[in-house]
Amino acid sequence: MKLRIIIYILMILSVLVACNKADNSEFTDSPIVESYLTPGNYPRVRISRQIPFSSNVKYSSDDVNALSINILHNNISSSLTPVGGGQYVDSSLKVAEGDRYDLSFTYNSKSVRAYTIVPSKPAHFAESVTAIAIQKMDSTSGFPSFGSMPDPISLTWDNTDGSYYIVVIENLETKLVPVRNFGSDTIPGIRFRQPPTTASGLEIRAMEFQYFGKHRLILFHVLPDYASLYSASETSSQNLTNPSTSIMNGYGIFTGLNSDTLYLNVNQQQ
Amino acid sequence: MFKKNNSSVIIIKCILFIFLLSFLLSKDSYAQYRTYNFNQPGNECYFSYICFAPDSVYNSIKRPFIFILGQEDQTAQQIFDGDTIKNSPQFHKYEFLYLPSKGINAKEKLNCIESFVSLVTHGFKFGHVNLFFQVNDTSIIQSDIAAKGLNKVFRSTRMNYLNEDVSNKDLMTENILERFKETAVVYDPVKKPKEDIGIYYVEEDTIKNPDIDTTDDRPHKTFFGPPEVFNYTLTGVIRDKATGEALPFANIYVKGSTNGTSTNTDGYFTLLKVPSDTSTLIVQYIGYQKTEAYLTPKTAKKNFIIEVKPQSQALQNVTVTAYKDDVVFVKKAEVSTIDLAPKKLEMLPSLGEKDVMRSFQLMPGVSASNESSSGLYVRGGTPDQNLVLYDGFTVYHVDHLYGFYSAFNSNALKDVQLYKGGFESRFGGRISSVTEITSKEGNQKNINLGADLSLLSMNFFAEVPIGDKFSSFIAFRKSYQGALYQALFDKFNKRSSTSAPVNQNPFGRFSQNQDIVSYFYDLNGKFTYRPGDKDIISLSIFNGTDNLDNSFSSGIPSFGQYNSNFSTSSTDLTRYGNVGSSLKWSRKWNSKLYGNTIISYSNYYSHRDRSQNRTLFNPNNESSSSRSGLLENNDLKDFSFKSDYQWDISNSNQIQFGGFGTYFNIRYTYAQSDTATILDRNGKTLLSGVYLQDKLKFLNDKLQFLPGIRTSYFQTTSKVYYEPRASLSYNLTDWLILKGAYGKYYQFANRVTREDILSGSTDFWILSDGKSVPISSSIHYIAGISYESKNYTFSAEGYYKLIQNLTEYSLRINASPMGINYNENFFNGYGFSRGVEFLAQRNSGNLNGWISYTLGEARNHFDVYSSSYYPANQDVTHEFKIVGLYKYKRWNFSANWIFATGRPYTAPSGAYSITLLDGTEKDYFTVTSKNSLRLPDYHRLDIAANYKLLMGKSGDKKRREIGYIGFSLFNVFNHLNIWYKQYTIESGKVLETNVNYLGITPNLTISLKFR
Repeated sequence: MKLRIIIYILMILSVLVACNKADNSEFTDSPIVESYLTPGNYPRVRISRQIPFSSNVKYSSDDVNALSINILHNNISSSLTPVGGGQYVDSSLKVAEGDRYDLSFTYNSKSVRAYTIVPSKPAHFAESVTAIAIQKMDSTSGFPSFGSMPDPISLTWDNTDGSYYIVVIENLETKLVPVRNFGSDTIPGIRFRQPPTTASGLEIRAMEFQYFGKHRLILFHVLPDYASLYSASETSSQNLTNPSTSIMNGYGIFTGLNSDTLYLNVNQQQ
Repeated sequence: MFKKNNSSVIIIKCILFIFLLSFLLSKDSYAQYRTYNFNQPGNECYFSYICFAPDSVYNSIKRPFIFILGQEDQTAQQIFDGDTIKNSPQFHKYEFLYLPSKGINAKEKLNCIESFVSLVTHGFKFGHVNLFFQVNDTSIIQSDIAAKGLNKVFRSTRMNYLNEDVSNKDLMTENILERFKETAVVYDPVKKPKEDIGIYYVEEDTIKNPDIDTTDDRPHKTFFGPPEVFNYTLTGVIRDKATGEALPFANIYVKGSTNGTSTNTDGYFTLLKVPSDTSTLIVQYIGYQKTEAYLTPKTAKKNFIIEVKPQSQALQNVTVTAYKDDVVFVKKAEVSTIDLAPKKLEMLPSLGEKDVMRSFQLMPGVSASNESSSGLYVRGGTPDQNLVLYDGFTVYHVDHLYGFYSAFNSNALKDVQLYKGGFESRFGGRISSVTEITSKEGNQKNINLGADLSLLSMNFFAEVPIGDKFSSFIAFRKSYQGALYQALFDKFNKRSSTSAPVNQNPFGRFSQNQDIVSYFYDLNGKFTYRPGDKDIISLSIFNGTDNLDNSFSSGIPSFGQYNSNFSTSSTDLTRYGNVGSSLKWSRKWNSKLYGNTIISYSNYYSHRDRSQNRTLFNPNNESSSSRSGLLENNDLKDFSFKSDYQWDISNSNQIQFGGFGTYFNIRYTYAQSDTATILDRNGKTLLSGVYLQDKLKFLNDKLQFLPGIRTSYFQTTSKVYYEPRASLSYNLTDWLILKGAYGKYYQFANRVTREDILSGSTDFWILSDGKSVPISSSIHYIAGISYESKNYTFSAEGYYKLIQNLTEYSLRINASPMGINYNENFFNGYGFSRGVEFLAQRNSGNLNGWISYTLGEARNHFDVYSSSYYPANQDVTHEFKIVGLYKYKRWNFSANWIFATGRPYTAPSGAYSITLLDGTEKDYFTVTSKNSLRLPDYHRLDIAANYKLLMGKSGDKKRREIGYIGFSLFNVFNHLNIWYKQYTIESGKVLETNVNYLGITPNLTISLKFR
């Protein structure tokens, strides 16, 4: 009797809890767009495919080198010319500050769209010094504690509307003279950057410079969608989500930016 | 001369002695007998009897009694007159009772004897040892006496007529003296040691004298007389015999009936309609011996104190009755309720700390496969949907050390109840379940101290009573950075090396100064004052704090002539915790109305700081500093007032009602630097309301129906929310119960988990605003059946839960060319969960334990993730758990095995890289549909062994438990259970790495206590 009741209840409940398999919609072949629109330059767009996670994935039949890509500017649509390697250019159109550009093309039977507005040129970009002097260090483990370092270089600019700015520092020398002996460390690149900021200035520490010589300090005025590329992307299955993008039916970046440049000499202290 | 004198003295002495003797003997014959009536005319046990004490002392209880049942049709007077035993000087101190033999057969004649004996010997402490019986009626034979059980009432019975028949022996020489010999020693028995403290051990082979069996000191029935009061209300309190602590939620019922109740949180009970003042009550409380309490007309009808002993820990195997020996206990009459005995937790395997929350995870319906959460995933609900009440105030965060341990020190806890669903109207504010924790008040009789030491933490407690009105309990636990702590800490922090910071400083490690101070601690305190029988005032304090620090700093001293000082530090600090306190006043207004009023404060704070701090000193020695990185701060304050009342109207009607008000102040800020605050939510609101519920019993108490309603007014939305609820249980038989429940639940504050692998997940609480974070709600439907026999419990329950207005939060940036709107990242959805749970439990004997199985499903629907239902993160299809406990002498062995379907997860479907403006490339993943994949099945075996430490020599009756040494092995098979997967892109391919939960982990615990 008891057993029968239990079995009966079990049966009812198992019907309630009947499984319905979730649809496993896997890889979607969405295109990757990469394009930075800078005033005075021609629009250049690079289209690529995702690296699939699983090996048995089918890409769409679209050829990334033979897409029909259009940019709409001031109600005039122009078609970009493929130049190979997924790259497209439009030599009829020069990007202008403050203008809106709309990108559109069809990929995998879907309409891929994005737009951007080219931001203004940074104003009153200034540096606290134009040259600094650092001791050459022989130690591989960093600079000696008795050494002296100059004050950080202070960069300032106007930012009244809380826009995003990013500073990239680039060594311009053809022959690189390292500040320290890198030893077995990876040889640092000629560029380094500061994370995007909404402030109106930042500081660069002298020890961030890896090489002596002339440096270019580029201040980019960027849009929020570019700044969001720097947000920590998660790599764990617990919280994977699709990356932030302003591109419909695609991924990547289609953004306008504007820049200003200053120069700084990093001299060897005698 | 001298000799002569001496002999004359002897002669005089002899004369005097004879004179005295004759005087005494003559006095005997003048002793007065007394005639009384037993019962009233009409009663079948109505008769007159004679009471006679040869020494005329009628009120002594230190004396033997001889009951003489006369021959058929003799009156008491005739029996008295015909009796000669009373004249024997040997029986001078005895008391004689002469009662007529009434009735048509032996059975009837003996019918009233027991209750008669009981009445006249009331207060006669020494039981049956000195009660004797003589039968003159020839129609009664020895087997009739035995059939009536009177051989247990009397020490010996003499069939007088047999002696008369054999020969007319002189009474003085017959073995009557031997037969009715008094055992004088029982009047002043060896003073029982003041034993009530601690748990004593008696080893099997040392028990030789069954008369002095200390293990069986349960109360005996001592009163056999007629009742004086019928159908009355008994109120009282149930307490621990050893410590005097009141026991909450203990069951008490009249033996042989379904009339029963349970104690409230203060240990008080009101038992209505007790049939008579000679009834027997049964008290049952988890972790304690099932105790019988025998009422007598002399027992207090109010404030009756019943003391129960912790479960028999005797090492002998000859226990008289099989006591229930549970660690956890599924409540028979209540729907979806589990009771847990913190006292017995040490018996279960654990990862370094006995833990109430972990132990609940071994029960059906509560998920056990999430090692990194102490919070309870109950029936497809998330931990924030589980209300955790600690002495009346809400605890918002229950995790220590990334969730591997709970914030509750089990040494400080007295009772923990888990309501898995369909809970009563007196609880509110959560949509899944309720965990109600009652902390210890402390020993009310003696000072007690104790300490535990494990590979993880040190734990101390002190119990100090002051007078008999004040008791206090303080417990403090702190982790130390031992091997186990480090292993867990590293599990989270080694990954920081695999992920390089964006702005890496090649010099950073040069003078970096890694001085990690990570720890957790908790403090529990309770101070209780009892001014009288009616009031209890208690103050409870709780503080649990985690400090996880992975920071380093580099100070750069400089001596350069044109340089100023400059220093930088990298901080990775997570500090979170709870501080809570409640002041409770409980009052028993009268025997039917009990109320308690609580004012409480609860604060949950979480402070995350993963940033770089740069300080610059200019030549004038003025400093300026700037900070960038991640700064997250959550501060929740809850000020509450509530007043709860219980009104026992009748045996079948108990009303509970109350009102509550909570003022919330919840602030959450998220900033990327000290100037750029991205999100700042600051919610302040008032939640108030009332509730009413009525526990009704019908059909001879077989049907229990508990309807209730809770109404809440939420200031933010200016709306009133109604939550109707009801539960039902029906006793098909004494053992078989059907149950059902329905309820609607609202939740006004939600916790959002932001998993952060770099330094552990952070949770933050936010208040519903009725818009982007709507008020979540759920509806529960529960049906179940339970079968409970003496040694086994079987139960099955099915549930279906509909959930509305779930909110998830993501700080992933939702950017457009026009801006980033962080506040838009609240996603709303809905979901459901359903399942069925089974439990088979053996609750007694040396080998006990349980098997549980849960078949469950939890589905969510968030438009932002998917257009259809997808498995919720906590969805586990099958979960099978088996727990075995075995007692052997001083050893307790235990093992549990857990099997669970893997949790769902989301994997990348693809990846791509973007070249940034500085020429570097950054990788991004695109993902599959939400939670479409499953991790491999989880399984784990844990074992543990405890060896009791005793004080005293073997065989010593005062041998007492003073602690134990415990050894446990976590994940014996070293099965690699996957926690989550980590993805990286290398040379154009997406690589997957499994991050596993703990492998085999041993632990050693030493626990010592004074009492």
